[in-house]
Amino acid sequence: MVRTLLYLAAGVLLGLAIHLVVILILPTLAPNTVTSKLNAVAQVNKTVLLDAVAPGAPNPLRLDPDLIYAACRLDLRTGPGELSGLLPATFWSVSVYDPSGTVIYSTTNRDSSGQSLDLGVFDQGQTRLLAEQKIDVDAGLLIVESQSDDVFVVVRLEPPQPAVRDRYAAQLQKLACHNLAT
Amino acid sequence: MLVVALAIGFGLSWYALNDGRLVGATQVGPWTAWPRAGSPNPDPYTRAYLARNGALQLGQGEGVLFVATTDSDGQALDRRCRYRIDGTTPVATFWTLTPTAPDGSSIARPDGPFEFQSRRVARADDGSLQLYVSKTLAPLNWLEITGDGPFWLSLALYDTTAFTGTATAATTLPSIIREAC
Repeated sequence: MVRTLLYLAAGVLLGLAIHLVVILILPTLAPNTVTSKLNAVAQVNKTVLLDAVAPGAPNPLRLDPDLIYAACRLDLRTGPGELSGLLPATFWSVSVYDPSGTVIYSTTNRDSSGQSLDLGVFDQGQTRLLAEQKIDVDAGLLIVESQSDDVFVVVRLEPPQPAVRDRYAAQLQKLACHNLAT
Repeated sequence: MLVVALAIGFGLSWYALNDGRLVGATQVGPWTAWPRAGSPNPDPYTRAYLARNGALQLGQGEGVLFVATTDSDGQALDRRCRYRIDGTTPVATFWTLTPTAPDGSSIARPDGPFEFQSRRVARADDGSLQLYVSKTLAPLNWLEITGDGPFWLSLALYDTTAFTGTATAATTLPSIIREAC
């Protein structure tokens, strides 16, 4: 009886250990992460519109059909990244994703400067140079520090009416996605 | 011993990532959200959920996504039935309510709207909502869906006060009531 209870207790402890290992290694083993899906569509230093959700079609990123999405992939090894431009006078938000799909920064037009988006992404070394004023940036640049050199910036924009969707999408695609000269 | 260990290990992991109430998810009636999914430092359970889910998460500063797979009585949402979504939502710049198949694809009528949008729904005098999701005609705000089988409802709150300080802000989510099948 005692031996059976000991085996059960050992099984419970081993089960908890298996559980912790599964939870901790899942992010590194999962094949269809948000980054792998964005890698398939986004290009470095180019603003790309994500395909609109179609009826019955797969929606692997689980995008909201009401919104227009643009993605900009930045490689910070060649310098700080910047996404800038003018957006329509409607709700928009911007989020920066690291390679694990974690949102390292996000904001909306309500917290930013109205229609103008000017976001700079800096790695740790570039942030240090920025603090030492060895990198010149424009006043008003929204500065985001990234631990990784590969990041995605995604802009979500809400067209107030379906009739303006194409026009707003065209304006969203005009956002400049590039590395800053250092 | 090994059977017990495997059952507990994988069973707990499956539960944590599907239900998640004890580890990272918040449940309000039939609605479930992972509040830390959009944070820069998610906990290990939320990180595992993100990896398994593969969705483009809303950042914490952008909003919160609630998903319902059952009605308010705990029965799985079924496309054969008509559902009334009744109540109020937390303060947000706007919200969308989207019916999807479990794989995320849209199940709305192809030539109709994909979802409800807060700026385009009729409300009662007190600001409350009555939304209908069904394959058959319904009164007031109606979204026609197609196909058969289970479905999910996703409520995305953009620029919201939910989970920002007062925890009670998230308790104002609407009920999902099965009316007819």
